[in-house]
Amino acid sequence: MKGIRKRVTIGFLSIVTLLFISGMISLFELGHLSTDAESILNNSRRNMELGKDMLLALQDHDRAVSRIAVLGERDSRYDSLCLNSISRLETSLLAAYDTSKSNAYLDSLTTSVSELRVMTGGLLASKPDSLNIVPGAVWYDTTYDAEISKIRDQVNGYMTFTYNRLAPRAEQLSHNAYRAVTPVLISLLVMIAIVLMLFYFITIYCVNPILGINKSLSDYLTFKLPFTVKTECRDELQDLKENIETLINTSKQNKA
Amino acid sequence: MRFNVILRYVGVVMLYVAAFMLVSAVISLLDGMDSSFYPLILSSLLTALLGIFPMLFVPKTEQINNKEGFCIVVGAWVLACFVGTFPYMMWGGEFSMLNAWFESVSGFTTTGATILNDVEALPKGLMFWRSATAWMGGIGVVMFALAILPSLGKTKMTLSNVELSSLAKDNYRYRTQQVVQILLVVYVGLTAITTLLLKLAGMGWFDSVNHAMSACATCGFGTKNASIAYYDNPMIELVLIFAMAFSGVHFGLIYSTVVGKSKNIFRSEVTRFYFATLIVGSILVAASLFVTGVYPDLWSSLRHGTFQFVSLITTTGLTTADCNVWPSFAVMLLIFASIVCACAGSTAGGIKIDRVLLFGKMFMARLRRQQHPNAVIRLKVDGVIQESEHLNAVAIFIVTYIALIFLGAIINALFGLDLVTSITAPIACIGNVGPGFGDVGTMDNYSALPAVVRLQSTVLMLLGRLEIFGFIQLFFMKWWR
Repeated sequence: MKGIRKRVTIGFLSIVTLLFISGMISLFELGHLSTDAESILNNSRRNMELGKDMLLALQDHDRAVSRIAVLGERDSRYDSLCLNSISRLETSLLAAYDTSKSNAYLDSLTTSVSELRVMTGGLLASKPDSLNIVPGAVWYDTTYDAEISKIRDQVNGYMTFTYNRLAPRAEQLSHNAYRAVTPVLISLLVMIAIVLMLFYFITIYCVNPILGINKSLSDYLTFKLPFTVKTECRDELQDLKENIETLINTSKQNKA
Repeated sequence: MRFNVILRYVGVVMLYVAAFMLVSAVISLLDGMDSSFYPLILSSLLTALLGIFPMLFVPKTEQINNKEGFCIVVGAWVLACFVGTFPYMMWGGEFSMLNAWFESVSGFTTTGATILNDVEALPKGLMFWRSATAWMGGIGVVMFALAILPSLGKTKMTLSNVELSSLAKDNYRYRTQQVVQILLVVYVGLTAITTLLLKLAGMGWFDSVNHAMSACATCGFGTKNASIAYYDNPMIELVLIFAMAFSGVHFGLIYSTVVGKSKNIFRSEVTRFYFATLIVGSILVAASLFVTGVYPDLWSSLRHGTFQFVSLITTTGLTTADCNVWPSFAVMLLIFASIVCACAGSTAGGIKIDRVLLFGKMFMARLRRQQHPNAVIRLKVDGVIQESEHLNAVAIFIVTYIALIFLGAIINALFGLDLVTSITAPIACIGNVGPGFGDVGTMDNYSALPAVVRLQSTVLMLLGRLEIFGFIQLFFMKWWR
């Protein structure tokens, strides 16, 4: 492949390459953005669900303890509700640790839940009628309520903290969205420059010589003016010009 | 004017820029494919495409005229700065479109001003690219390409004549081909020696290479937020003082000295004046620091005073201290250094000490002419009589330079900058120095400046690098017949 065909092929290949690159970058960057956005949404949803589970478990625990300690209703239903709610709280905590490895809120929450488990164990181990360890409503209002309020605050703190942590990530995502389109924009800009150059070069190296050859040939045929065309490149157009010159010379020689 | 020919030769320069992007991508690859790898490799590909495309269409031309040569040089500078933004913009971080343009222009023009608040956050590949822009810009992007290109006959001569200022050509008695080769040999040699010495002084290899490239290009881009103050190492500072000082000397004279020619740095009037200014200026700054008690002992005053004076007079901009807290006398001396700058034919920007020397001689001649109106006074530099046309050009250059500083200062003040920042920012930008005083001090950066001021600063950098008239000419092409 040589001459005009080579140039035009290379020109179009360059444009195709750039289009391909732009497309690939778009796909890659958009895929990245989509994964990031999905992960932020998933984390947010998961944290909210975990927080909700913890609060529900606390509510159940509170209900069971109030029945046992304040109303003195010792029933296996409340005992198991007490233990179950603690287990649910611990399961939610473990799941929360999986999402955020190191979190000061979770560490203090774990300590408080351990304290609550000890307190619950003490409550359940006490005799139903004596309330030596568990001094009824007073114990509930002071010791237990303080502990449960502390845990509730910690859960709320955890939920706010995770939300606050997600906000900068979402902000970063908007920056990344700007950055993601930049390579595509630059590739498109270069492509526009190459298209303009291709247009310019085809005009001066292909179109103008063809027009020149045509005009000169017309002038020769109509007015018998000498056939003179200036071409800069050694390509098919140069060959064409030389062939026409040879043809004219042969024609002149034949006439002579 | 043949636009296609201009595109071809600008394309050649683009290929060299693409090659440096590729080298930076390799650095990134060696650093465990850091986050700058894809931006650099993609930028390299795009720049190479832009460069190679005109070469496929436009045949090689031996003859180009001065007007075309001028357009090639200015076009190559502007386009190199433009494609230089690609890796920054693609990487993101602190680089918005304007910030990337600022950083790229600052690198290629060897200004060394930055908009980065945290340089250390850059991945190694991008950090190297930043230094590479400065290194390419050091001897001129076109000259760099010419030095490596095989002989181009008259084309090379025309391009080198446009790229090198008339002052820079003064000390060469060689053919064009040799001149560009000498430039490259001295430049590469200085960089290699500085790298080695910095390594021996205690820097890591990566930092040594970057700082050597930066110091020899008199740019001032560092790899640490605190610049050279980070190392707190007198040996490193000493190596850099020598590297900066010699990068401010005419490269032709350095070559002559090394090969033992009679016309060397010890005999050149300009170089003697330059070294005298360096010594006197450093001593005065050090004395000012010691007397006012900025540093407790004379050694510290001399250490920081000398480093800062040499750094600013050579338009490098590396720093070991916060000069904003220095006494007014020292600050005024540093501002004077930022305006006067080093020798022509070096990598330094600014007015150039050659012009200052000539201006001083013109001033004395003017005084003598008033006393003896009929006297025939010839001005000589190194025994060579200076033509009146050349002297006029020097005077016009200095006046235009000062006028542009004031114009820049007025625009800065218009956008609410304080007096010191308004004046010193244009001085630092047009002189390709980098740090100024006030909000753009040695320990600050240009990120807080309004967008218009940052854009204006890049124009000043280009004006300074292309010796004002080279750039202004672009807007008066119609007059060029």
